[in-house]
Amino acid sequence: MFNKLTTIKNCIVLLPRKTVEFKRSLQSKSSQVITEAVCADQNHVENSTNPFAVNKKFKANMLENEKEDLESFLSATNTDNKMGRPAISPEERERRLKVLQLEAEVARQEGKRVPTLDSLKDHHWDQIIAMPSRSARMRLYSFLWRNAAIAESKKIKKQEKAAGAQERIEAIRKERAENPHIVYGLGNVSMFLRVYDTTINHWMNHRLIRAMMFSPKIVLDCSYDNQMDRREAENAAKQLMLCFAENRAHDDPFDLHYCNVDLESACMKRLQSFIPTMLNPDFPMNIHSECFTEIFPKDNIDCQKDLETYNADDVYVIGAMVDKRHAEPLSLAKAKRLGLRVARLPLDRYLQWGSGSGKSLTLNQMVNILLDLKKTGDWVTSLKHVPRRKVIDSKERLASFYEKQKNKVNVRVDKIFDDDNAIFKPVNSVRSHKKYLKFNLSTWGSKK
Amino acid sequence: MGQYSKEQFARFKKTYLENRKALEPKEWCNIKRTLKSEFKHINDDNIDATIIGACQSEQLELAKNYIDFITHSGEQPNDATLGYLLRIYNAKYHSNGSSPESLSDGDQADVLNIWKILTEKHKILDSTLCENLIAGLVTTRRWRDGLELLDMIKITRAPSIFAYTEFILKAFSMKDSSLGWSLFEEMMETIDNSRQPNCKIFLTYLTEVSDGVQDTTSGLEKMLQTLEKYNLLVSVKVIDSIKTLAAAYPNLLQATHCHINYMGKCSNCQLSLQAKTLSNVEFEKLRNSVLKKVVVGGDVFQKSTPKEVNDFLNFVDRTAPYDCVIDGLNVAYSKGKKKPQSLADMLVSVVKHFAEKNKHVLVLGRKHMNKWPKNSVQYVKDNASMFLADNLSQDDPFLLYAALKSGPNTDIFSRDLMRQHAYLLGSELKYIFRQWQQQHQYSLVTKTASGRIVIKEPTRHLVCAHKTESTWHIPYKMQYTLHSSDSFEIPEHWLCLNIKKI
Repeated sequence: MFNKLTTIKNCIVLLPRKTVEFKRSLQSKSSQVITEAVCADQNHVENSTNPFAVNKKFKANMLENEKEDLESFLSATNTDNKMGRPAISPEERERRLKVLQLEAEVARQEGKRVPTLDSLKDHHWDQIIAMPSRSARMRLYSFLWRNAAIAESKKIKKQEKAAGAQERIEAIRKERAENPHIVYGLGNVSMFLRVYDTTINHWMNHRLIRAMMFSPKIVLDCSYDNQMDRREAENAAKQLMLCFAENRAHDDPFDLHYCNVDLESACMKRLQSFIPTMLNPDFPMNIHSECFTEIFPKDNIDCQKDLETYNADDVYVIGAMVDKRHAEPLSLAKAKRLGLRVARLPLDRYLQWGSGSGKSLTLNQMVNILLDLKKTGDWVTSLKHVPRRKVIDSKERLASFYEKQKNKVNVRVDKIFDDDNAIFKPVNSVRSHKKYLKFNLSTWGSKK
Repeated sequence: MGQYSKEQFARFKKTYLENRKALEPKEWCNIKRTLKSEFKHINDDNIDATIIGACQSEQLELAKNYIDFITHSGEQPNDATLGYLLRIYNAKYHSNGSSPESLSDGDQADVLNIWKILTEKHKILDSTLCENLIAGLVTTRRWRDGLELLDMIKITRAPSIFAYTEFILKAFSMKDSSLGWSLFEEMMETIDNSRQPNCKIFLTYLTEVSDGVQDTTSGLEKMLQTLEKYNLLVSVKVIDSIKTLAAAYPNLLQATHCHINYMGKCSNCQLSLQAKTLSNVEFEKLRNSVLKKVVVGGDVFQKSTPKEVNDFLNFVDRTAPYDCVIDGLNVAYSKGKKKPQSLADMLVSVVKHFAEKNKHVLVLGRKHMNKWPKNSVQYVKDNASMFLADNLSQDDPFLLYAALKSGPNTDIFSRDLMRQHAYLLGSELKYIFRQWQQQHQYSLVTKTASGRIVIKEPTRHLVCAHKTESTWHIPYKMQYTLHSSDSFEIPEHWLCLNIKKI
């Protein structure tokens, strides 16, 4: 693991949460690097004049939402569903295991979607015994059954395909034998040298190592393990892996740091299964079990950082948490506690947001946005990484376009067919631009 | 049973199995083949149970016929198949009147035999098998042995309403009321709070309790007390049953339908219904929990900051007690207008309503309200205490805390149903909270064009079955619903039941 302790001014901390809240944290007191984190908070997006608006699935008990059913908010804050389970004695465990096996067998005999008992391994049983309810178990069985069914149908297809393989090979051989000319092309005669995967890997790793010396830093804060349940943690691990991969493949990588890592947690275990060499000393991935506040020295920067102009000098902290179940402003809370500044991506300003799936972004989408922002400095191109289904639906868009245009003459129709134009708002109105110049935390959440 | 196309399976049932009592072995083989080919998920292991499950509840002979077919092929029916068979026995038992003679002796012997097989095969049975066994055992004379099955279920999950209901029905029909009621209470404690027990329980109980004068009144009282304890709403069938009971003993019981007016007065007997009061202990508990769980929650930063919470606590200590705590923003946005002027006006009219009655109110809002029209804000400040929270904080928990701190007579004014706060308090306090909320929450209905506001007042009387002097007032609903509504409607239909002391 690389030791990154120089007086680096800016590091962006990405907390391993699936829905990234990109927090900008500012150290309010003296000294050290200001970790900036953009906090994605849904309410703020809705009623702020602030340009930073990464939204998250965080609930906001703000004005507009007060009458909504906020049951999903603050519901099920079961923080110790994995951690605090008391150890059970081996006999007890044995007994429970037997009953659960019988349960699975009977359910299978009834025709429910349960895989055969042979296919359930020990690690499955560990998970199953720890599960709180029968319906949770049945959901897991259903998932495993489905995987098994898919694998089996793939096997059948492969066998069917293999049946005809022999003839196909013969046909190709015959054709080649009949052809007296040289065949040019990949796999035959060509002027290109084969570039192996390992070569590319070495090259990308080298770029990463160079990035560690010279590029701005982003921190992924993995401290939210006990707020995520197992499935969310595994999703978070996949996103972390994608973050790393997409960062490595980009033209101009960041220096990623994973902080507050607990190697025993479900998320990290899954990440290790994705990247087995993660902990090797010569693998260019920075894992820290300490908090980012301890690793990166903090400078005192007085001026307000405007995400409008991405500043390579700032440390960005992104909360890496998957919160499918409940939308709580956990990283906003953490930022407040640590006294860090928060900011959001200006999603509202640049995109017309559709109605589906809230304003939450995955970790790798977040990193991609930042990477492109660093490279081009242009919001429109970098926000292309936001998936299309979240922005305004094309039917909606068409309908709203017609609505506005119905009384006009000389309407230009070609604009609506241009995908990019339609979902990005025009940024040329002078008056609105001035509004977003200053970032003021205390008025951030207020209405326009 | 699986997730294949339901219509497809229904068609299959109709073609092959409907109205048949027995099938030839050849036909059974044919059915098995068809099923395996038509439905992808059906294989050798689950086909037996699927077929038995497809037999309707009246088709006991058909099911037995299939079991014979299996044994003649040299195999033994597997556990799930036996389980489903027990369910069919249970269905037959209920359709024959649920008495000890409903099933023939041969059938009862079959059931006991299956029980023996299963208990010998497995030391501990899983929850599905247990429930199926319970369904079977209540049809026989040895149903009491099934009570230990309930404990077996509890190893892996909470027993379902079905299991408890079967035992309770059997206990009542065997005249063991104490066992029945203790199981009933156990059921109510363990099941999900929102589900309601089946009305069959009460109907069975009432038929059994109608022998003997002494039993009738005390038995009826016991049932009504249980209704009160668990805040249950019975269906109209139970009410009809009570009325027939009352008709049988006209000098003891008098039952009449009635209406309760908004003051809590019964239209029939002119008695006022009991006013809802929370005991001091409950109120204290509620108040402490609100601060701990709702205002602070898991992390005080999620809803506010420690400094703000402290400021608020000091403010309340200084300016309490209040007559009413108003959720400023909820009130302001009631009409859906967005302009600050209209928002401020709504708030002003509500404050005026209370100020005219010389009540001391607290208005909660957020800092951006300072930007509203100055006159309105000034009026509110002059006629009420006002606390403005951060724009980032949640204000509902403050509302609840202020109201509870200021005393049991303080009301709140908000249209918010506060479901998430109720949830955070935990299940036992949730009920107390709901009671307090029903009793104390005003909500704004609308504001007329002339400027008058229409307010919905809280209901001051109890809305469950309860007794005043010697008269019970029992609310009921017209149809049985599986889940109780978490709503704030007061029941429309009531029965006024007078029980004379002997």
